[in-house]
Amino acid sequence: MTNIIDPIAEIDESRAADQDVVIGKSRIIFRRFMRNRTAVAGLFIFLALFLFSLFGGFLTPWDKDTIDPLNIGMGPSPDHFLGTSQAGIDLMALIVEGTRISIFIGLIVGGVSVLISAVYGCTMAFFGGKVDAVMLFILEALIMMPAILVVAVATSGGGGLKNLPSWLLLIIVLLFFSWMGTARLVRSLSMSLMQRDYVKAAKYMGVPSRKIVWRHLVPNIGSLLVLDFTRGITGAVLAEVAFSFIGIGIKLPDVSLGVLIGQATGQVSSFPWMFWVPLTVMFLLTGSLAMMNDGLRDAFDPSSSSIGRAKTKTAKKTIK
Amino acid sequence: MSTNISHTPAERLRDAGLYAPGDAVLSVRDLNVRFNSENGVVHAVRGVDFDLMPGKTLGIVGESGSGKSVTSMAIMGLLPETADISGSVRYKGKELLGLSDKAMCKHRGSDIAMVFQDPLSSLTPVYTVGNQIIEALTVHNPTMSKQAKEARAVELLRMVGIPSPKDRLKAFPHEFSGGMRQRVMIAIAIANDPRVLIADEPTTALDVTIQAQVLEVLHTAQEETGAAVVMITHDLGVVAGMADDIMVMYAGKPVETGTVEDIYYNPRMPYSMGLLGAVPRVDTANKQSLVPIEGTPPNLALPVTGCSFAPRCPLASDACLHGEPEPVSVPGSEGHRAACIKTDELSGEANAHAIFQAPAKPVSKFDGVARLEREKVLELKDVKKHFPLLKGALIKRRIGTVKAVDGLSFDIREGECLSIVGESGCGKTTTLLEIMEFHPDQVGEVVIGGVSNKVATDSKTKMAMRKEMQMVFQDPTGALDPRFTVYEVLAEPLENLGMPRAAVRKRIMELMRLVGLQADHVNRFPNQFSGGQRQRIGIARALAVNPKLVVLDEPVSALDVSVQAGVINLLDQLRAELGLSYLMVAHDLSVVRHISDRVAVMYLGKIVETGDVDEVFDNPRHPYTRALLSAIPVPDPNLERTRERIILQGDLPSPLDAPKGCNFATRCPVFAALPAAKQEKCLTLEPPLASEGQQEFACFFPDGEIDADMLVVHA
Amino acid sequence: MLKYLTKRSGIYLIMIFLTTSAGYFLAVSTLKPAVLEQEKIPRPTPEQVAASFRGLGLDPDATPWERYIGWLGGIITRWDWGRSPNGAFVNAEFADRVLVSTRLFIASIILTLIIGVALGVYSAARQYKYQDRVITSYSYLVHILPAPIAYFLVQLGAISVNETVGQRIFFVTGISTPGIEPGWPAFVDLVAHYAVPTFAMTIFGWAGYQIAQRQYLLDNVNADFVRTARAKGLTRNQAIRRHALRVSFIPVAQSIAFTIPAIFTGGFFAEAIFAWPGIGLWSIQSIGLQDVNVATATLAYGSVIFAIGAILADFATTLVDPRVRVQ
Repeated sequence: MTNIIDPIAEIDESRAADQDVVIGKSRIIFRRFMRNRTAVAGLFIFLALFLFSLFGGFLTPWDKDTIDPLNIGMGPSPDHFLGTSQAGIDLMALIVEGTRISIFIGLIVGGVSVLISAVYGCTMAFFGGKVDAVMLFILEALIMMPAILVVAVATSGGGGLKNLPSWLLLIIVLLFFSWMGTARLVRSLSMSLMQRDYVKAAKYMGVPSRKIVWRHLVPNIGSLLVLDFTRGITGAVLAEVAFSFIGIGIKLPDVSLGVLIGQATGQVSSFPWMFWVPLTVMFLLTGSLAMMNDGLRDAFDPSSSSIGRAKTKTAKKTIK
Repeated sequence: MSTNISHTPAERLRDAGLYAPGDAVLSVRDLNVRFNSENGVVHAVRGVDFDLMPGKTLGIVGESGSGKSVTSMAIMGLLPETADISGSVRYKGKELLGLSDKAMCKHRGSDIAMVFQDPLSSLTPVYTVGNQIIEALTVHNPTMSKQAKEARAVELLRMVGIPSPKDRLKAFPHEFSGGMRQRVMIAIAIANDPRVLIADEPTTALDVTIQAQVLEVLHTAQEETGAAVVMITHDLGVVAGMADDIMVMYAGKPVETGTVEDIYYNPRMPYSMGLLGAVPRVDTANKQSLVPIEGTPPNLALPVTGCSFAPRCPLASDACLHGEPEPVSVPGSEGHRAACIKTDELSGEANAHAIFQAPAKPVSKFDGVARLEREKVLELKDVKKHFPLLKGALIKRRIGTVKAVDGLSFDIREGECLSIVGESGCGKTTTLLEIMEFHPDQVGEVVIGGVSNKVATDSKTKMAMRKEMQMVFQDPTGALDPRFTVYEVLAEPLENLGMPRAAVRKRIMELMRLVGLQADHVNRFPNQFSGGQRQRIGIARALAVNPKLVVLDEPVSALDVSVQAGVINLLDQLRAELGLSYLMVAHDLSVVRHISDRVAVMYLGKIVETGDVDEVFDNPRHPYTRALLSAIPVPDPNLERTRERIILQGDLPSPLDAPKGCNFATRCPVFAALPAAKQEKCLTLEPPLASEGQQEFACFFPDGEIDADMLVVHA
Repeated sequence: MLKYLTKRSGIYLIMIFLTTSAGYFLAVSTLKPAVLEQEKIPRPTPEQVAASFRGLGLDPDATPWERYIGWLGGIITRWDWGRSPNGAFVNAEFADRVLVSTRLFIASIILTLIIGVALGVYSAARQYKYQDRVITSYSYLVHILPAPIAYFLVQLGAISVNETVGQRIFFVTGISTPGIEPGWPAFVDLVAHYAVPTFAMTIFGWAGYQIAQRQYLLDNVNADFVRTARAKGLTRNQAIRRHALRVSFIPVAQSIAFTIPAIFTGGFFAEAIFAWPGIGLWSIQSIGLQDVNVATATLAYGSVIFAIGAILADFATTLVDPRVRVQ
């Protein structure tokens, strides 16, 4: 049929048969990602920070619990590359530890919440009807709850939760409130996928439901999940910093980037390095993640590649 | 814009006295359009020339990618800024190319207007219909008073056949059906009495009955305004009755131009010949194979060195590959031009079937066996599917029932093809889904290969039934998982049966050959195939488990005409070779006539007429069947210009409003002509499906006289 | 329409009830005000603490269910949201706090919406030109900056302005100067207190609107109906302005639902950083003080705000989109 609206698509259609090189879709995505310089830079910064958080401890002889009585509240010096806190603790050691906790929270929350949303969303779409209605109600009720208050209650309470380390508590609470948006997206995407003819075809062939979900649904929502994983990491890191900054997230003795930045606010003028250094690290972390997100989104979206102008100089001349 | 292009081929032609541009309301010369794409510059339109005379109609015919829509958009100045357009487009002698957007706006909508393909998305959803018509008036008549504009809008709506136009001015587009919206689009286009009206596939998205209405409206519009019309289409039938001249486009270039008679009765370019032979005819019982055009159109991102059709042309010789042929005059018929170096050889008796080596009509082993002696592969007994129509969010109230399928009974015997036809919404797709679902809780009985749905409680019985029946889908792209290679696509049903690996591999190779695909392409992904090839993969998948019955849901409606023929031939051949039975749903009655043995016409969930396809099509008894058949345009200009056609009024009514008696009475052309006493019967009693010979139909007044208002003849 | 809104409100009421109840159980099982009482001097005996809490309806020995029933009963029969460990009534302070918060947010909500949508339209019109790149990059930058840190940076900036000028132009904390004369001085004082938080919340708030509006408009500039409008004789810009723009408002109107509670959440940070004694600060402080009833009441307020936002969004959608108008 000749449903032509977009002249480019029209031409692409007729060209489909001419492509002789067989390229897997994941390879195309990888190539497109690697072509995006910003995204690659983001990836490198993130990997560097990750390695730093794991092995940065070897760059300084100090650790985060040791007080250097000779250098209390000192700026960067050969002894302490990044200076010390007013308690005499090496900032480098603190940053290494804080970055690790922040990345750790980001990875766990990003990963697990994607899993939860995939399972929850697919279940809703697959069963539909009453199950879907009830699950959707729960989901919306959770969206309605102000997450920040629950975080505050959970991490500040004097009750049974007190025994858990604050980072673990924060992970649990963030997980609780991080998956609903994606779950809703997964639901609507799976619902539209279930209407696709190839899913119907498999059904009519007698392929069992669980196999259909596994072979047709999951791979096709894969790109959404990968994107959401990186987005989830960014979100969790930001949330951790924000909550810890106002004192309701991670609590001492645990350190994170948010705790370090938050603690330093009182003495920005006297100990500026204590504020600006962790802030810079946080920026590098969230910034690199955002840069990667952007590249991934472009790589997954076949329509995003911008098409240049056809007007050459000579062509312009003939028109004028 | 260049005023000095005196050396283009077109100018030379004009100098030769072949065109008379002085009188032309629109003349296009050497129009070229290039786009940048990821794979380089695509030369989408390569030298289009034509002159449009006042009041005349030019049909531009071509498949997707032929550049026909791009041509129209270039004329309108609606292409993206990134497109490189060269050549000349003159409106009454004034050059339009190179005008600024603002300068072009003086012409758009007042001198040249356009109707687009998709009426559903072409109107702004947030403004009323009246608002959008009035806007078209305001742009070109800023001084017109509000009352005058409103009056004019009402007049326009009345002209395009919208009932109670005054009230409908305040309606929003979503309150209109597709056909109604296309009428509104036409009203907007003719609002300022344009001299040129470009219609880009104006009826492609519509049902045949609605298509007939909209074509009629276009006809009226042309008569009222006296505008010249450019009708762009892929359907050779649509333009046969309307056009004065035809331009056939291929790969961005006009390959044959001439009067409508020249093109339809004396084509001189193999591509046009192939196109004409590729379309099945609804009006003849001729069951010859269709003319298949192998291959796909060329990639326009690559430079063209020879005749662009040569790779697909059975007559191509070495000479065809060197230099692209320019359109040259066909000796003996003035104004008829074909871009082919073998034009002379193609005169008179040349037959497309012979040239394209159309296969012989395949013979099935069942052909000699009487129908009643063959086994039933599928039987439906009083199958019903009613959807409750609910209202209310918390506590649902049932406000009615949609009888999507209402008591359907038919059977299909070995080796035969039954087609279900009807407008969208008549329940034909629901019928297929009901059969495919095959569930004991269904209302009515579905028997497949001797197994009834009533006993299909365990998965083993279901599995056995799945082996008997498979499905081919409408959209070949949507039917294949984009992440699967062809091998994986075809392996899925086989692995599901527990076939060992080696056997799967062997079977897949077999299937690829069977559907005419290269066996070494199994590792490719669906997006590396053309639409026709994808549909072949879909067919191969359906055949993988050796079913007896294949359900075909609009199997060729998403394909281009030339590709469609190949797929239809393949279906024909497979049916004969493998002794398959088909159950097909299609809106294209020409395809139905070509491929089926029997046909069932559905209206609002019920079969209104059924029987042998030739009998029903040659001698339709039910008024609906008569109207449906009459709505199909035939690719034969002489016939198309003179024949009477029944134009049904209105759309398919909502199944909710189904009347008590005959549910077709609201639109029935026979009913409208009946005296009141007889009408009473139609309104109170439901006509049963009664048989007369082999044919069955549900009407009290078969062959009745048609109401004059619904009968149209173009003088 | 009215029926539809009533029904939606009903559903949200049920949701609010559920979230608030869940919040109460969470609060009652984690917040233990008795722990803080131990730090008082002279240290009261556990019996004294229990007795005084029992009088306030905060019996530490009662099961969470018993306390829930008592608390719920108070709300249903007397609209009494309970008392704080120090004996104060929640109801008494609630209205003041809501007023402070509302005063703080209202200006920035409106400014954010207007500026965000305007910049979105502007950047879409200038797609890929430098104006678009600057505006959109800024919005993405805001996305990777946690709100409290952003506010803190603005605060630092305001302080340095004050220091540079050598005079206190802006107040970076608090809501008003105590004992200020009414009239003109009071007004100047008001502006000086409002300027910094409103500025901070606005410049870090519009990013979401800007990106959404830009995207929706770009999605629509090549729509079929824009082409129709151009075919009528409108220039490309006119067609976009009259047709694409209006259609692109539909999803933006819907997204308001999700930004109103987001502003509320952002409000916690704003109130914490700028020390405005609004509802957000109150809730954070109450949690520090292990105050179950205040924490729950503020949580309920958050849910109500969300519901209002969602209903407003429905309402806005029906205003701009005739397709969803209920006949």
